[in-house]
Amino acid sequence: MRSTVSYRTLAGDVRLEVASAKIDSHDLPYSRISREQQTVALHEVERARWDEARFEVRVTLPEREIAEGPWEDVVCVAVLAEGATNARSVTRLAPTQQGAWTGRVHMARAMHRNRAVLTASVVATVGGVPGRVIGGTERPWYLDLAARDPRRERELNIIEVDFRDGPEQWLRPFKEAPWLVDATGDMPTVRLNTAFEGVIDLLNGSGSPVEKAMRDVVAAQIAEEAWTAMFHSAVTDLDFDEDGTPRLPSGWRGAVLRSMLPEVVPAASLESALHEVHKRRNDGQSWSEMQASIQYAAARRSKVAKGLRDAVRVLDRVDEGARR
Amino acid sequence: MSRADTCLPEQLALLPGPIVSRYLSEGVRSGADEPPRVALIRESKPLADTGVRWATAPVRGLLDEAMRRFADRRTRADAWLAPRLHATIRMTRAEAAEPELWAYLAMVVAPDYVVWRHKGAVGKDGGSPSATGDRFLGPHYKQAFARLWWAAEMFRDGEDYRPAEVACSNQDMVNTTLRLSVVDHRPTARALVRVLESLTAAETSLLGDKVNALSSAVNAAGCTLMYEVLAPDEPLHLDGLMGWIRDAEWSASVPWDRLPEGPDDGPVPQQSVDRLTSYFEELLQAAPVRQRKGAEGSGPQGGVSLAKLGE
Repeated sequence: MRSTVSYRTLAGDVRLEVASAKIDSHDLPYSRISREQQTVALHEVERARWDEARFEVRVTLPEREIAEGPWEDVVCVAVLAEGATNARSVTRLAPTQQGAWTGRVHMARAMHRNRAVLTASVVATVGGVPGRVIGGTERPWYLDLAARDPRRERELNIIEVDFRDGPEQWLRPFKEAPWLVDATGDMPTVRLNTAFEGVIDLLNGSGSPVEKAMRDVVAAQIAEEAWTAMFHSAVTDLDFDEDGTPRLPSGWRGAVLRSMLPEVVPAASLESALHEVHKRRNDGQSWSEMQASIQYAAARRSKVAKGLRDAVRVLDRVDEGARR
Repeated sequence: MSRADTCLPEQLALLPGPIVSRYLSEGVRSGADEPPRVALIRESKPLADTGVRWATAPVRGLLDEAMRRFADRRTRADAWLAPRLHATIRMTRAEAAEPELWAYLAMVVAPDYVVWRHKGAVGKDGGSPSATGDRFLGPHYKQAFARLWWAAEMFRDGEDYRPAEVACSNQDMVNTTLRLSVVDHRPTARALVRVLESLTAAETSLLGDKVNALSSAVNAAGCTLMYEVLAPDEPLHLDGLMGWIRDAEWSASVPWDRLPEGPDDGPVPQQSVDRLTSYFEELLQAAPVRQRKGAEGSGPQGGVSLAKLGE
């Protein structure tokens, strides 16, 4: 909880846990719920169409602090939200004797698209003002509609598709490309071309040290292109305040900028870095000079240098072996 | 009528972002060139679902009527079109959150509408005036059709579209308030429209600036107050929504001179709206109203300031 507000907030931790989940009337296997990753994977091949998921949630609060503090009418709620569908629903939880708050959160399939965020908030009357947020979970749970494994990291969507003869006509002109990075949608996507012989095998394969080194280099190159494309997409789609100040975008675009901007433009704050990038991009001055820093920031994130270094070493060894 | 009627595909489809970028030239954005419809159709992807609700002809008809009715006051088209577009392309939020669907509508079905509605008054650097790229492919509060569908969705009161019509008659509500996540709570959205209604009825001066001040104040207060606890909403009756969507198969096309009926997913609880309305009115009293440049033009009749005429 931020401490910048004018009333007293909770210092102790608020912890949310998804105890179990159901899709329509079927129990979701426990392997789909990861406590460590705080993620639930809802995609099931055998049940592509469903109407509602239900989650049994349990929230623990710093009970002693609450009992001794100045707060009245304390309630705990679970908040289910997804930016893509502007969906937000709040469920009141009930206190149990064991000092936890529990309840059932309903998630309608029709209201969600990709990945919903589940958090808990503690609300109370403070100094006569009702409805004050006095605490909440630090780290949200993700309820992922597209994932089969409960993994938190999901920066990139990776799809294998046939560019030449596949269903997506628009990929045909790119049939000679091994992959294509697209950062225009609500999730950045890398499409791997199954019509390009060997690329999928290479990326999936482990095999010999040489194959492994090649795989790492290619994977790093794809990742670098993706980071670069994401950065450009994020600075292109900026929104502005009334006085023309660029605003940090939401979703993955904001996350990419937050991560890369400090390296691209060393500035006092994220806001001034954003302002600088926007200015240079708009009037074109030193915009091309900035490309080197963008590329470097992207490469660092993609571990290009490490992949290349390892590859060179492996190739050196192979080379030596051949000479001997 | 125009080339719009020739070879218009029967059903809506999905147009991938990279394709939009490839064909979204300056000429297309200014209306000088038509996007290559045949190529765009070839490169689009069909929807997973078929049905009357995805038919292009009713949407095209609506857009032609909007351009006819509002020929000389295009920003007014928003209030008329938003509920009717929402009741014509009947879908869930999961379906509406698909940028490729809106891109198809903008590039294939009605690029002329996007240019007509969003072309600026003057061009950049002496060029011809044009619509910005995000009106064709962009976030839900920018894209030419998504912004209207979502405004109708966020500001309606169950099956009653009147609050949405009021919201869309004010450009600041559609351009600024719609993007704030506070309106994801139905009683908050409804109460904001109530305050707008009383401001409009009182013929308040600088209406646009007041709406922006109100939105900022409500949004800022929402960081420390949980409106959902102060003024709870009822769970949505999704059966009502799904039934309304299914009814698209046999429903007549939307009326032009009276409001259509929206999905009956339950009214917004009155008590919650009342509570927030009086709270928001207090907030507005205390809020600093920042006057924009050229704000003399933002009279009570629609709240369109000079600065925004080009949008």
